[in-house]
Amino acid sequence: MKDELNITNKWICDKCQESLVLEKVKVRYLEGNFEVELLKCPTCKMVYINDDLALGKMLEVEKGLEDK
Amino acid sequence: MTSNQGIHTQSLCPICLSKIEANMYEEGENTYMHKECSEHGKFKTVVWRGEGIKEWIRTKERAYIKNPITELKMGCPYDCGLCSSHRQHTCTALIEVTSRCNLNCRFCFADAIESKNEDPSLENIQLQFERILKVSGKCNIQLSGGEPTLRDDLVDIVAMATTFGFPFIQVNTNGIRFANDEVYVKALKNAGLKSIFLQFDGTDDKIYKQLRGKALLELKKKAIENCHKHGIGVVLVPTLVPKINVYNIGDIIRFGMDYSPTVRGVHFQPVSYFGRIPNEPKDEDRITLPEVMDYINKQTNDMVSLTSMQPPGCENSLCSFNGNYLIEGDILKPITKRSCCSSDVKKAEVGANKAKAFVSRNWSYQKLIEQEKLSDWDKILDALQNNTFSLSAMAFQDAWNVNLERIKDCCIHVSTPNGNLIPFCMYNLTNQEGRSLYRDSMVTSR
Repeated sequence: MKDELNITNKWICDKCQESLVLEKVKVRYLEGNFEVELLKCPTCKMVYINDDLALGKMLEVEKGLEDK
Repeated sequence: MTSNQGIHTQSLCPICLSKIEANMYEEGENTYMHKECSEHGKFKTVVWRGEGIKEWIRTKERAYIKNPITELKMGCPYDCGLCSSHRQHTCTALIEVTSRCNLNCRFCFADAIESKNEDPSLENIQLQFERILKVSGKCNIQLSGGEPTLRDDLVDIVAMATTFGFPFIQVNTNGIRFANDEVYVKALKNAGLKSIFLQFDGTDDKIYKQLRGKALLELKKKAIENCHKHGIGVVLVPTLVPKINVYNIGDIIRFGMDYSPTVRGVHFQPVSYFGRIPNEPKDEDRITLPEVMDYINKQTNDMVSLTSMQPPGCENSLCSFNGNYLIEGDILKPITKRSCCSSDVKKAEVGANKAKAFVSRNWSYQKLIEQEKLSDWDKILDALQNNTFSLSAMAFQDAWNVNLERIKDCCIHVSTPNGNLIPFCMYNLTNQEGRSLYRDSMVTSR
């Protein structure tokens, strides 16, 4: 978690110029709804998902939800 | 082919097994297959009780076999092996490791009890695995029978499949030995067994006495407990027979949920008619897929919605349905949702790959990891692995309702001792006198 907080400080929303913060975000894929902690702009609520997450755990979850 | 004339296909004469033209017509809410043999007359069989058969059908871009085994000589279904006109890859290859059985069931594909055939040798089974790998790649494997657990060397067969690199190995069983022999269960797990397809016709012994000749419910529970202890997934497989256990569908689902995550889901099999049958089966002896979905919906008091159950992406649409759910408390929450339009053409090969992955992931069981150690994403993955529950059904075809379009799209292939792969229903299908096109001819070359 410490590492993640350090990452938080490094990312700034380009549009709002605000530091991103780690927050619980609602995620929906197909009929599945989940809450996960992601980096988010406190103003415009845009969420940042890095390549590793998009092509790693997140992709695994998508595949897990996909039907036969 | 669809027209206002109905849906055209080809079928077989239930008496002589000649290929004949067939049409499926909607009459009121139901759809019937009509066909006529020039020698044996007209036949009419219900294939779909309920509206919407045309909306249910999904069109797929065919996936022809890259390495066909048999030559195309007489045309479908007489050249099975597989031949170059087959349109779907193997999702599950099934090997009958014995034709012996320790039950005497009223309904049995294999006519097992009367069998005097010898079990295939380990050498022969090895040849079958090699052939499957060559033709179908690393597909899912189901070891079936007869009752496979009558073989003490089933452990060696599972270990052999594991060594070949097949990702998902399942045993189709009545569960008697899984209940009574924990050492055997542990050895199967260690050899690489991921899951069992447990014959489970109901939550009331009255049903077992009618279908299987004796009370078996306690044995089924013990089998599930032993699978739980050793981390083997269980899929409950009820054979649905009108007037016997259709009323019990909702209770079977609730029973399965109570034993989750060991029980991974319920896979219903509406009864079909094989072997020697004195009289043509009547429509009232059949239950069709839309009726099963309707009973699931009603007997779970709408907890399982009709729209959460959808046509398959792998086999022909008329062969099965499936729904995937997350268990939250005592509720099933759908993950799947039926698409409202069926105009998209989907690739059969993509469907086959998804189906293989789904079965391997959702019908296995992994013991729970402590939640505190997991990240949010890992928690979701853990829930998908262990809190999901699948509901599905597969309607097998017999000589009365066989539809050759469905046979060509089949993805469950029976491996034979001489190294051929036969679509499941073609392997088991018999005419009214019990004569088979494929099963009988496979006995000699063990």
